[in-house]
Parts: sequence; structure tokens; C-alpha cells
Amino acid sequence: MKEYDVIGKNVRRLDAAEKATGTATFSTDFSLPGMLHGKVLRSPYPHAKIVSIDTAEAEKLPGVKAVATYQNTPREIFNTSATMAFTVPALEPVLDQYIFDNIVRYVGDEVAAVAAVSEKVAEAALELIKVEYEELPAIFDPLEAMEPGAPDIHPNCSAGKNIPGEIVKIPFGDVDKGFVESDVVFEGRFKLPVQKQAQLETQAAVAQVGADGKITVWSTTQTPHPSRSILAKVFGVPESKVRVLNPPYVGGGFGVRIGLSAKAEPIAVALAKLAGKPVKVVYSREDDFIASDTRHGGYVSIKLGSKKDGTFHAMELKGTLNTGAYCSFGCETPGVMGAMGLAVYRVPNQSYYGHSVYTNTSPAGAMRGFGNPQAMFAIESAVDMMAEKLGMDPLELRLKNIMQVGDPWCLPYPCQSTGLAECIEKGAGSIGWDNRNSLNQPGAKKLRGIGAGVGTHVSNAWPFCVDYDNAYLAVQQDGSIHLAAGVPDIGTGTSTTLPQLAAEALGVGLGEVSLTFGDTATTPFDIGSHASRTCYAAGTAVVAAANDARRQVLEYAGDFLNVPPERLDIKGSVIYITGQELGEQCAGTGVCQTGAGTSVCETGEKRNSVSLRDLAYHAHLRNKQFIGVGRIVPGNAPPWQAHFAEVEVDTETGQVKVLKVAAAHDVGKAINPCIVEGQIEGGVLMGVGYATSEEITYDAKGRQLHNSLHKYMLPTAEDAPEIDAIVVEASDPTGPFGAKGVGETGLVPTAGAIANAVYNATGIRFYEIPLTEEKVYRALKQRV
Amino acid sequence: MSVKTLSFILNGENTVVEVALSDMLVDVLREKLLLTGTKKGCGKGECGACTVIMNGEAVNSCMVPALKAEGAIVETIEGIGRPDKLHPLQESFMDQGAIQCGFCTPGMIMSAKALLDKNLTPNREDIREAVSGNICRCTGYVKIEKAVSVAAKQIRENQ
Amino acid sequence: MLQDYLVPKTIDQALSHLQNNNGKARIIAGGTDLLLDLKEGKKEAGILVDITRIPGLKVITMENGVVRIGSAATHNQVAKSDIIREKALVLAQAARSVGSLQIRNSGTVVGNVLNAQPAADTAVALTALGAVAEILSPAKKEYLPVEELYAGLGKSTLDSTSQLLTMVQFPALLKNQGSAFERLEQRKALALPMLNVAVVVSLSGEQFEWARIVMAPVGTKPVRATESEAILKGARATSELIEKAAGAAIAQANPRDSALRGSREYRLEVLPVLVKRALESAVAQAKGNF
Ligand SMILES: Cc1cc2nc3c(=O)[nH]c(=O)nc-3n(C[C@@H](O)[C@@H](O)[C@H](O)COP(=O)(O)OP(=O)(O)OC[C@H]3O[C@@H](n4cnc5c(N)ncnc54)[C@H](O)[C@@H]3O)c2cc1C
Ligand code: FES
Ligand code: FES
Repeated sequence: MKEYDVIGKNVRRLDAAEKATGTATFSTDFSLPGMLHGKVLRSPYPHAKIVSIDTAEAEKLPGVKAVATYQNTPREIFNTSATMAFTVPALEPVLDQYIFDNIVRYVGDEVAAVAAVSEKVAEAALELIKVEYEELPAIFDPLEAMEPGAPDIHPNCSAGKNIPGEIVKIPFGDVDKGFVESDVVFEGRFKLPVQKQAQLETQAAVAQVGADGKITVWSTTQTPHPSRSILAKVFGVPESKVRVLNPPYVGGGFGVRIGLSAKAEPIAVALAKLAGKPVKVVYSREDDFIASDTRHGGYVSIKLGSKKDGTFHAMELKGTLNTGAYCSFGCETPGVMGAMGLAVYRVPNQSYYGHSVYTNTSPAGAMRGFGNPQAMFAIESAVDMMAEKLGMDPLELRLKNIMQVGDPWCLPYPCQSTGLAECIEKGAGSIGWDNRNSLNQPGAKKLRGIGAGVGTHVSNAWPFCVDYDNAYLAVQQDGSIHLAAGVPDIGTGTSTTLPQLAAEALGVGLGEVSLTFGDTATTPFDIGSHASRTCYAAGTAVVAAANDARRQVLEYAGDFLNVPPERLDIKGSVIYITGQELGEQCAGTGVCQTGAGTSVCETGEKRNSVSLRDLAYHAHLRNKQFIGVGRIVPGNAPPWQAHFAEVEVDTETGQVKVLKVAAAHDVGKAINPCIVEGQIEGGVLMGVGYATSEEITYDAKGRQLHNSLHKYMLPTAEDAPEIDAIVVEASDPTGPFGAKGVGETGLVPTAGAIANAVYNATGIRFYEIPLTEEKVYRALKQRV
Repeated sequence: MSVKTLSFILNGENTVVEVALSDMLVDVLREKLLLTGTKKGCGKGECGACTVIMNGEAVNSCMVPALKAEGAIVETIEGIGRPDKLHPLQESFMDQGAIQCGFCTPGMIMSAKALLDKNLTPNREDIREAVSGNICRCTGYVKIEKAVSVAAKQIRENQ
Repeated sequence: MLQDYLVPKTIDQALSHLQNNNGKARIIAGGTDLLLDLKEGKKEAGILVDITRIPGLKVITMENGVVRIGSAATHNQVAKSDIIREKALVLAQAARSVGSLQIRNSGTVVGNVLNAQPAADTAVALTALGAVAEILSPAKKEYLPVEELYAGLGKSTLDSTSQLLTMVQFPALLKNQGSAFERLEQRKALALPMLNVAVVVSLSGEQFEWARIVMAPVGTKPVRATESEAILKGARATSELIEKAAGAAIAQANPRDSALRGSREYRLEVLPVLVKRALESAVAQAKGNF
């Protein structure tokens, strides 16, 4: 294996010191002179027409500087998610939102906003706004919303009643024939909960509109560049006059702000324009819960056919997802769900049919895994049941059918790497798979069980979205490196891994590199941090930029040292002739400083190396700088995962306790293993929550019941199981140094593994998550 | 009378500041004293991002009326280390990869410090209890637990 | 709208603040309930009188077999107190289960009782311990059993604008006695109980002298399972008997359907499990002390 100097090492994150000392700036910390505070009035009804709206009293309240409604803000239709800026032609983005509309479609929908000298005054003003609503019929379940008599939530749904965009159909082989030819068929329908990202920093934006009309927005977005495109369109200004940036840190994302941070940005800009002052909009935790995207809940049906010997022969997958009141990523999510669901196993005959449905609930959009965890809960449950029908060990069945390099699949890029078999082997070892049928004493009230699940994912957004990337890298006059990439760091470590990649590619130390990121004004276009793409796609652009700069450096150094550039290499910021011992380095004084650069040192010795520092300065004095540009269109590559869960089920109360998750992940190459483990561990715990406790439900009036961190049952430190994150590296030729995506993968197979473990413990199969105590208790009772 | 003077010892310094009666300590720290290291993730005692140490105990500063801090000794993330000599917890959080987005970090470190100030040999239960009110959505808590025990060991060894 | 925040140093000062302000001033302890109630308009107060700096109120003591907990003592103080752990384990366990460590560092046991939520963890334990509260008004001092502090859902019989609860007291458990707290919760921290049960038992050899069993939220306040208690009284402590008594508890339980914390049906079915488990550990403790 190749030895690397900078990558593959657990270097401290470059943002760690700021974050550990409280000096890191987040949007919620950001302020400007004269800044006002904005607060949003939200609909109490799930579906209603605004008959009248009277803001006079609110405007009179001392300290109030502007009140915005649908009557005095742009009526440009948009989509808060970045799909608006990167839908792949010939598909068209679904545009279905205004900043404010005269119809509200869910409890929490924006009705008006106030900018005032303080949050308290703004809140008081909201209470003075008089709104008269005419209630409209509302619907909350996606299946009911497709019925002919259901209310239309948006007009023009050409694909079907309340279905946004188009229906995703993925045909592969001949599925009907495949089932006829199968010996054993399993069929089932699974129900999925609404999960919430619950990133720790709520949605926030600070907007400033200059006297020249230029708009600057500091916000929590995961995608500054696409957000700029959306804002430019909404406010009717050229993109070049809009700047969107992170300040620069973002308190988590998990998909909730791919595109705008819900409506924090457009509301802040609208208020700033009306008030003539900068405006800060910070969502309360309740705002964040009810009025920013959730994960899609809904239904997945699966039919799986196998030959007697356990060779999968046909698979049919159907998804009906609840996208809530607005489409957001409601078209892409079912697409990824189907494509990823079909990509795990080698099945010659497959088909997928999926779409979203509008309902009068909070909008659903992107959340870590993006449809994939939904699909894999169903698929991995089905595969376990198939193993039982066939009388095979579930792992053996999986190993027999998992996709191999070069296998045909439904995706438009080849499978060029897989470490899944190794993941299965290592994960099984960690959990003690072989003990799984001897964990319980007869008569025990608490039953233990072990289950497994596997999965794959993407390493960037293509072919589901436009995906290309850019970076530039400038060798400074002293030989240090300035790197610029448009992608943000939402906590995933981008601002460390990108400099690691640049340093490795160029041959300099990490300390030489500094990165500008997450800012449309100072970085080239990038589609943002999502789709597990940052290290893979933005990383590829960074490596390309570094290679470009390196080529320029070596050419110049070749002239300087009088050797062909091919004979040169760079290590530790020294350019040297390969195969020769490093000569005495110039100390950075003398010849180069004077501009008399020569391949002969002051001492008269012939040089066989030169420091980047000297070379860059030498070049500078001769009107030259080394600037590398990376402009890439990434391929795509499959990361693979195998999760193993051990659970304990209290049969008297129904409580499921996850004791351990062994999570083995093929990440191609771990550029920073510690960061990779962190991604896996965090993903796993979110997957444990998805499987066992996290869910947003609504009451009969469409109000969220789980609208706070106290009511929404995400795991605390005291709930976390032991997590064994295992890194497997099956290098992919398309990724930077072989790396593949990891960010979303941590929870792809977790729910399936846990449900299978509960089955192993109790013999009860669950077609619905989360596995709450009451649900499990009920099932245990029914069996008795 | 809706404004009052609050005097307290903040990060070792006598601090006097005008506060509104309805202000919570977190608002005074962040907005009046511009110590934005203390974060606000919910404002209702449910996330721990605003944790500070008051008279030796970790508390949610969003649930502490500012005037409750009258005469109190309050420590925030800004006060526990110097740039040239960070607190061992700050070092261990960096070394162990316990920081991702970093939004929970200041509160998390303050909770951990309150623990280590009293108990330098915490077991896993103690650590988990100490940060039970600090939600972290990024890390799965694995490296956070590790960082706290590493810091405890570090402090023990330096004593 | 708040007009003042007062921090008295003595009980007398606190009482005179209340008296001087004629119902406009209200006691605040940890504030973990009151601040949210004020914000949401559920309660009103012009002046807050903070009692947490009154030295005498912060202490936990044991004298002549009586345990006393001052009204400024926090949940965490109680959970970690050696006195409470030895003499009333059920209360230490209940206090440990409240919210999060930060909430436990601010919130007080007495505030928990006075907020009058049916499943307030420490109120359930204190009821099982037979705790009595000392209440001061400008004119008099009175003693009321903790369960009588509940006037209804979220309503206390105590008027915090004119009365000050100074401490709660209960007899320290003896060697032949044991206690335990069981809680059904959706996660280990930051979760209100779906059900909680506190029991205190007194044994004479293998026999129950008496038992007190309190359960919640199965009514508007912590509810005594007196029928279960009657089954146990004087009987031999066998697992069959415990099972029987536990099963009888549902007769007096009337939980609501909660969209957040379980259906009535589920809670009724699981309640006996918690009662049984609590009784088993309390009995084991009482026996273990010999
Ligand atoms: C995030 C969170 C989680 C929680 N989790 C739980 C939980 O799991 N279980 C649980 O039981 N509770 C829980 N609680 C509530 C719990 O913190 C409170 O009930 C707490 O114990 C109340 O004490 P306090 O000192 O904060 O009371 P305060 O809020 O200060 O006061 C409560 C009420 O009592 C009055 N009062 C207080 N002390 C006196 C006195 N000495 N004399 C007269 N009147 C007085 C006040 O005027 C007020 O009306 C939680 C709260 C939060 C915010
Ligand atoms: S902001 Fe204080 S606990 Fe969340
Ligand atoms: S590091 Fe992001 S919430 Fe903890």
C-alpha cells in the first residue's frame, strides 16, 4: 500500500481550536451594526385561505421597523430546496412556494414576519397582526391524499392526485417473468415514520441589502452557491449581485438546509429590504421543528423472488412518500430510494415505482440517507425473511447475492469497488454473530437478539442532481497555499479533509494550507455539502487544482534546476530531483531573495532541490504565480455498509434496548480516519433513534405533537449503545486517493439490522418503525 | 423598574452589567457581554448548548434568570483556558475527534468540566450522567465520552 | 410583566416580600417550571422572590430519625445525598430520574411537588415516604402531607404568592424497611415518565408489616394503590403475593390516553410490572439490611 504523508492520518481538525474555545462563529452568533431581529407569524391551520390580514397595530408598536406579508413581498414562485438550482434536464424542478402566500397549507406555514429592534418586540408585534382565515379541508395521510375526493393541495399535479413532479420508474430486466421463474416469493408493505434532523443550530440567516442593491446573506445553508441562485431569482437580481456565505460555521445540517435554511434567508432579505437595515432571523426550536423539512415518512412495498438455492431472481419495490405541504426534495427522494434499493443485490429482474404525495403536514425534504434508509428497512427485513423461508443463514444469503465489481445494475455508472463482503465479515466478528441463537435462557423475561443489515449509497448527487465542482489553489509568494472551495463545513470535517487532500497532492505539509470555503463571493461554484459528496466530489476538484498547480511548479522548477520536470517531485514543500539525495536547501536568503535565482547556490554548489518557498518567491519577482484550477465532473462510487445490532427486549414492557451496533463501512479510503469514524458513529446513533424512538406525529388538527427536543425522542448520551465503527477500504478509481462517500451512510442499514435483531430475540416481525415500547408490547401480547 | 444591575464574577472577573428583568443569563452572556461561545439551541432547558458553570454546578443558562446570578461565580467556555494553555478538556476534545459541527461543544465541555472539577476518576456512568442534558446530534457521543475520560486521566497525571 | 427580582437572605425577608406585595410577588426556586409557565402566560408574577440564597433552605438533614429536605435543595443534591441514599433510596432514585443533570442542578424537589404535575417524580416518591411539608404564612406555620398539596392537575393548594414551603420531612427508613422507584420512560434522560411507581415496604421477618405504593400518572395526583397495600399488609412476602398485589394496582389507576406517552390501555397493562419490580427491589433491600 502506498504510504501517504498527510492523508490517512488522524490529524486534528483545523476548526477544532475555534470550536473548543467558543470563538467559532455560527450564523446565530453573527451580528451587524444596526441589525434588526425578525420573527415569523405562522399558520395555526393545516389548510386555509387568508381572507384578510391587518398589520396596522403591529406596525405601530414602538421598535417595529417592518412587517412583511404576501402583499408587500416578491410573488416569485420557488422551491426552498436546492433542487430548484440543480434539477437535471429534461426534468423540471417543482416550484410551489412563495415567501408568503395567501393560502397556508400546514400548521406552521409562513403568514407574515416582523423586523424589530429586538426579538421580544418582534414577538410582541406578531400578536398584534390580525389575520382572518377561511379554513379549507385538510388531509394528512399520503394514501388518502391520492384518493379522488381529497382536497387539492397544489394545482397542476399532472402525474396524479397530489403527486408533485413525475413518478420515478426504474425498470431492469423483466420483473414479471422473474417472479414466474422464482421458487420462493416474499411480499410485504412497510410503514415509515417522519424523522427530524434536529441539528443543534436552528435555521438562521442575517441579511444585508446594500445601498447599491447588492444582497449579502450569512446563513446556515449547506449550499451557498445554489442558495444564491434561488435568492437571485426570488428577488429578481443578477446572481453576481447576491452573496451567500456561512460565517463560516454551521451547527449541523443532515439535509435540513440543502438549499435555503427553510425560509430564514428569503424572509431576512425581504425584511431587510423593507426596513432598510440588516435583519437577523433565527428560528426557535419549535419553528425549526414545525417549519423546516423533515425526513419523508410513508410506505414502501417490496416483493422479492428467489431461486431455491438462494439466488435472488426478481425484486419489485414501490415507494409512496409523504412530502408534506411543499415538494422540496419530494421528487429526488423517491428516486434515490429506488436506485439505492435496487443497487445492493445482484437481481437480474427488478423494478421500482415511486413518488411523493402532498399532504397538509410540515414539508419533508432531504435528510441524511435521502430515501435510502427507508428503502433498506424494508429490503433488509425482507431479505431476512427470505433467508428464513429458504432455511439459510441471513449472512450467507446476503453474501451470495451482494453486488460485485462489474455486475450490471440499474445505475448509469459502473460498480468499480466493493468491500461489502469484508464489512460483513468484520461486523459479524465484532458482534459475535455465531452466538445469535444461544443468547437466551429459557423463560427469560428480557430477550436478546442479533440482527444484520447491509446497504450502499452514493458518493455524490449525480445522476439525481447536477453535480460538478471547482476549486482553486494559489501558491502564495512565500510558498504557503491558499485553497478556495465553495463547499461548506457543516460539521463533517470538510475544512480539514480538503486541505489534507491538497497537501498530499501537492507535497506540502498540512500546516501550509489554508482554506476559504462556503462563500459565493470568494470561491468558485459548488453544489454544496450533501449527498455524501463533499470529500469525494469537492475533494476531486481540490486534488485537480493541486495537480494543476503542481504541474506549474514542477515546470518552473525544471527550468530552475535545469532538469526535465518529469524528474522532479515535491515532498515537505521541497522540490527535488527524484533518485538523488536532497542537496542543501536554500535557506530563503541570498540568491532567490535578490532575484538572481540560479541553479547554483551561493556556495557554488549545484543545487538538486529548491524549497517551494524560494521557488514561489523567485517566480513572484519574475511576475509569476502558480495558480491551480480544478474543474471536474465527478463520477460516482458506491460506499458499502454492514450493520450488526444486538438488542435486548423487555417482554414485560415492550422496551427495546440497543446494546451494541457494529458498523463496518467501506469508505474507499479514509482521508482522516477519526473524522470517518465520527461520521459513522453519529449516523449509527441517528439510525438507532430512527429504528426505536424518533417520530413526529400530528394531532387531528394537523399540529405536530413532537415539536421540541423534549418531546421528540432522539437519543441522549445515556441512551447511546456501544458503537464499534469499523473502517474498510476498498479503493475506488474515481475518488480522490480512492475515497468514497461516508456522510450519510451511517444510518442506511441500521433500522433493518435492529428490526432483524428484535426478530431474532422475539420471533416477531415488525413492518413499522420506530419500535416503541407500546408497539412492541402490543405485538408480544397478540402473539400470546 | 424593568432594568437592574447585575454584578457577578464571570470567568474570574468582577462583572457589572445592566440587565432587563426578563433576561436570562444566556441572553446577557451572548448579547450584552458578547460571549457567544455559549450557544442557544432551544431556550427551554432541553438541549444543553447553553450550559455554563454557576457556583460549581452545570446549569442551563437559558433557564437561569440573569438576576439569579447576582454575586455568583459563573464560568463559560471563554474562561476555562488561555490560548497558550487550553483546558485539558479542550485539548482532549480536539485530539479525540469529539468535535464535529461544534455547536454542542461549549456546553458539552462545560458539563464535563463541572464533572471533573469534582470527580477525577469518573466511570462511564458518571460521564454519561454529566452530559445527559447535552444533546449532540453529530457524534453519537462515542468520542465525547472518550475525550472526557482522557482529560480526566491527563489532569490526574499532571497533579 | 416583571417589575422586580428579589433575592432575600432569610426566611423572614422572603415572607415579608410576599406580604408587602399583596399577591403580586411569587416564590421562585430553580425556576425550571415557573419560567416556562410565565413565558407561556400560564402563571403571572410581577415580582419574583428567589429563595435559593437562603442558607437554611438548602440543607438536607437527619435528626432523631426524621429526614428534612429544605425547599431550596435541588434534585441533584437529593440524588447524591448520602442521607437520602441510605434512608430513602426511593427518593434518590426519583430525583436522579428527573430531566437532565442541568435540570437537576436547578430544579428543586419542593418545586417539583408544588408544580403539581401528577407524575412529578419526586412527589411520587415523597408521597410513598409519607412526607409532610412545613408551610409558613405571615401568620402561621402549618404541616400538610405532600399529597394534600395537590389541588388538581397542575394546581397546588399552596399559594406561592403568600406562603412559603420551607421543608419536607419524613421518617428515615429503618433497617427492616426498603424502598424503590420504577419508571417507564422513552429515553434515559430528558423524558417525562410514561409511568412511575414508588414503593416503601416494612418487613417483619418474612412478613410485610405494611407497604405504601404510589403510582402516576394515573390520576390528577400521585395515587396510592391502597388495595394492593391491603393485600400485602401482614402477609408473607412471596413472589406470588407480590404479583397479586401488583395486579391489583390497576383497580385504582385511571391513566389517560396520551399521544406522547402511551395509551391508557398500555399503561394499565404495564403498571403491574412496574409495581412488581419496585416491590421486589424494596423487599430485597429490606431483607438485605439485616
Ligand atoms: C427540560 C425539563 C425536563 C424536566 N424533566 C422532568 C422530569 O423528568 N420529571 C419531573 O418530575 N420533572 C421534570 N421537569 C420539571 C422539574 O424540573 C420541575 O418540576 C422542578 O422540580 C421544579 O422545581 P423548581 O425549583 O425549578 O421550581 P420553580 O419553577 O422555581 O417553581 C415551581 C412552582 O412552585 C412554586 N414554588 C417553588 N418553591 C416554592 C416554595 N418553597 N414555596 C412556595 N412556592 C414555591 C413556584 O412559585 C412555582 O409556582 C423538567 C423540566 C424541564 C425544563
Ligand atoms: S438553549 Fe438552554 S438548554 Fe437548550
Ligand atoms: S458536534 Fe454537532 S451537535 Fe455535537
